[in-house]
Amino acid sequence: MGLGSDMAQRALDRLLNAIEGDDRLDRAGHRLEQGLAFTENLLGITGGRTRGFLHGVWLGHPLHPVFTDLPIGSWTTALVLDLAGQKRAARAAVGVGLAGALAAAVTGLHDWQHTHDHARRVGMVHGTLNTLALGLYGWSWVQRGRGHHLRGRLAALLGYPVIMVSGFLGGTLVYRHRIGVDQTGRQLEPRHFVRVMAEHDLTDKSPRRARAGDVDVVLVRADGRIHALENTCPHLRGPLSEGWLRDGALTCPWHGSRFELSSGESLNGPAAAPVPCFQTRVRDGWIEVRRAPAAATAPPGSALVHQQEVQP
Amino acid sequence: MLTEAPQAPARRERKTATRVLVEHHEVLRGLMRQLRETPRSQPGRRRALADELFDELWMHERIEESVFYPAMRDITPAIAAAWSEHRQLSDQLAALVRADPRTERFDRELGVMHDALESHAHLDEERQMFPEIERFADEELLVDLGDRLQARLEWLRSSRRIRAVLRLQRALLRRTAR
Repeated sequence: MGLGSDMAQRALDRLLNAIEGDDRLDRAGHRLEQGLAFTENLLGITGGRTRGFLHGVWLGHPLHPVFTDLPIGSWTTALVLDLAGQKRAARAAVGVGLAGALAAAVTGLHDWQHTHDHARRVGMVHGTLNTLALGLYGWSWVQRGRGHHLRGRLAALLGYPVIMVSGFLGGTLVYRHRIGVDQTGRQLEPRHFVRVMAEHDLTDKSPRRARAGDVDVVLVRADGRIHALENTCPHLRGPLSEGWLRDGALTCPWHGSRFELSSGESLNGPAAAPVPCFQTRVRDGWIEVRRAPAAATAPPGSALVHQQEVQP
Repeated sequence: MLTEAPQAPARRERKTATRVLVEHHEVLRGLMRQLRETPRSQPGRRRALADELFDELWMHERIEESVFYPAMRDITPAIAAAWSEHRQLSDQLAALVRADPRTERFDRELGVMHDALESHAHLDEERQMFPEIERFADEELLVDLGDRLQARLEWLRSSRRIRAVLRLQRALLRRTAR
């Protein structure tokens, strides 16, 4: 047991390091991204509502993992049904998996195009393996439909380990590279108002960066109000203070996620989570901020809620 | 051509890569300035300028991506983000050429284009990445890269195939605009 898991650990580690260190994947990756960009611009996805929908903004986390369960689950079911000799049901299961795999491919590519470096390379291999599995299961579905059940089963048997490895890489993207994970600090500090900047230093329409205790914040003056948000994009930690303002929203300079100033909510993705907001006030010519109490995130009665209670 | 693209001189002046790129940023800024000064009553000129911006910015991205960024990967960690910013600029360029130059929407897209371009060219590259590179990279390497960037830019500008591809891209983007 100990030896086996050691060997597995070493083998998987080697696999990951080999993929992450392979810069030959970059050229193909950028070509693919340019193709995707042009296609999305032609279809009007980039500036439209579909963009946020595919990123999972409405869900609060990526939409992609919702679909990946479908092929893995259905194709596992098909394996069992094949063993039980249920030919028609097995083909239906393969078919459901195919539909899920296509949806996962669309949402996966849509997320992948906004990743960097190592995650990008892992994503390339993940996508390539999935395409291979999709091909094998597609062929399996066609062959089963023509009555060639043996061929269909063989293709499924070949495809299954492929999606297992690919699923492992997908997990790596989340747990190791934190793709799709909210990357903001989410601290509760500062609990009391702290001075961050002289009021006259903050002009209209130009976001400014400031320190509030240990937290990096971005200050924005718009529509006669001063807004303060964490200076970190939840997607990949892009510096929001270097972004730009338009229609009451702040755009991340790296991947173009737009955030509503008043709530921090993402409007379009790739960031699916909101940016944490701060309360602001002006005292003696200074802008002061503190973390907006977010009682709903802590269990009722906990010390965190208590310590965050609003004091004048 | 509405602006003077520097014609290939018999013998090119040797410049560092960062200077070549900053000078090309100025070409792009000049186009943006002209676009912003052209009123809605001159849609033809606006369109021609937007076309030229589309081509020049496309070429700018390609020379950075094919020559400059790969060579700078080990010198600055900012390359991945810069690459993403290119993607944003491409998206915004597409939005700009899809907008009707007689409408307010065109002005709006132009405003976003301006912000996105300044965020990338000024805030990121000219203020952070280039000074870092000039501090840590070998002068000789930078001049060498400068030569390659200039040669690549000249080649892209004079390539008929590239021009045709860009014309086709713009036409497709406009045809599918809603």
